[in-house]
Amino acid sequence: MSALALNAASLRYDNGFTALKNVTAQFISGSFTALVGPSGCGKSSLLRLLAGLEQPFIGSVTGLAQSQIGFVFQEPTLLAWRSVADNITLPLQIEGHSPNEIAARLDEALALVGLTDFADALPRQLSGGMKMRVSLARALAKRPPVLLMDEPFAALDELTRFRLDDDLRAIWQQQKCTIIFVTHSVTEAAYLAERALVMQGGEIQKEIAINQTGRDSGFRSAPAFTAACSALSMALGHGTSPGGGA
Amino acid sequence: MRYLLPFLLGLALLTLWEIWVGLAGVPVFVLPAPSLILAALVDNFTALMAALWVTVKVTLLAFVWAVATAVSLAIVFTRARLIEMALYPYVITLQVTPVVAIAPLILIWVGFDNLSRALVIIAWIVAFFPMLTNTVQGLRSVDPQLHDLMTLSGASWWQRLIYLELPAALPAMLTGAKISGGLALIGAVVAEFVAGSGTSTGLAWRIIETGNRLEIATMFASLALLSALGIFLFYLLSFCEWLLLHRWHESFRR
Ligand SMILES: Nc1ncnc2c1ncn2[C@@H]1O[C@H](COP(=O)(O)OP(=O)(O)OP(=O)(O)O)[C@@H](O)[C@H]1O
Ligand SMILES: [Mg+2]
Repeated sequence: MSALALNAASLRYDNGFTALKNVTAQFISGSFTALVGPSGCGKSSLLRLLAGLEQPFIGSVTGLAQSQIGFVFQEPTLLAWRSVADNITLPLQIEGHSPNEIAARLDEALALVGLTDFADALPRQLSGGMKMRVSLARALAKRPPVLLMDEPFAALDELTRFRLDDDLRAIWQQQKCTIIFVTHSVTEAAYLAERALVMQGGEIQKEIAINQTGRDSGFRSAPAFTAACSALSMALGHGTSPGGGA
Repeated sequence: MRYLLPFLLGLALLTLWEIWVGLAGVPVFVLPAPSLILAALVDNFTALMAALWVTVKVTLLAFVWAVATAVSLAIVFTRARLIEMALYPYVITLQVTPVVAIAPLILIWVGFDNLSRALVIIAWIVAFFPMLTNTVQGLRSVDPQLHDLMTLSGASWWQRLIYLELPAALPAMLTGAKISGGLALIGAVVAEFVAGSGTSTGLAWRIIETGNRLEIATMFASLALLSALGIFLFYLLSFCEWLLLHRWHESFRR
């Protein structure tokens, strides 16, 4: 059963630029997909299309109600006049959850991203990485069946990123949600996802399944992980590793 | 230092004025000495305070109405493009037509049975426009991604307004309010000038009256009170701005 799908969808922006060309992709319910590709290839556009924030110019999108979607934007996208806690709880408040429920979810989300001590801080008092974690906490607190994440960890240091990678995997397994995760990092894609879609110039060029053997412990040194990394690097730039690192 | 410096400068200028008027023997009906102005203020204190109160009432009423109507109309404009297209030329017309030219008409229409209402309407016309344009601009320049966030949260139009648009537009609205506050006072003065009869008893009318009678010191005293009122309004609104924005807005980052 696919939770989301793009059916020969094209996306054209108001200025006439075609950001996605004839893209077809299925996202099975409960799957974890990484989206990789060079800057400007249309990764964010694809997420926006799936979330119903843009309409396809041709083709169609099989999607969900927007209330079912958790979205982590590429930028933190916080309300500057609201504290960290109030930013995280805003969607819950709008959805009309009970105060107890909101408080419980807030505590959980804050703990997850390690910002419990900053609940009352205002966004301008936070570093870039901390703001991004607030945005992540906001999406997770909603407990959506589908999580669309646009380079959520790009601004974080490696240790925090590794920890959040593991947390995200755990959340995914526990809540059985569908995750589509944009990243520049080949290793992050290989570590997190079950498959990677490699994009180039507004098209999906390649789909790479990531062998999950050796998943349980120390996956970063498992042969399947190394194999996935080199397969992805190959697909992205014939051996050179764009986006680099980590 | 911020307050001491201008205060000392003012004191020095007043002293120079006082000395120069005395030495050069400038006639009182051209330029009275500061001490005479002060004396006039004290002598006519109750009358001047009553006049001040009249002007304050007109100014504040016009200002409050300007803010309320401008914000409401701005919200309508950002929700309904067609209404904006239909109304905007008329709003502009109201703005560009010199208020002194419309004032007599308003006095005839509204003023014959209720003069203070006519004064408020004239001042309101002057104060309205900057509040409108600033609020529209504030509401329009909300980060589109924040709008996307509200969309994905399933926000209704008023939740979007309360949680996102109004707070995001607040800095621009307060900028507009500072301009409108000053203009409301100007509007009130113009209205009193134009109304120009014994039935209006505000400060501006006092200025005309004392001018006609060559009571120049009282005229200066009225003028000083008007300036004080303008300064008070400006600082009051600046204080509101600080109160509402200093915690989160970039402009208050030291
Ligand atoms: N609102 C817009 N209007 C016009 N063109 C746009 C708009 N948004 C994106 N584009 C164009 O669409 C293309 C794809 O943009 P997109 O943001 O999807 O890239 P991306 O893969 O997410 O890049 P990055 O990795 O740098 O975030 C770019 O060439 C960009 O110039
Ligand atoms: Mg992007």
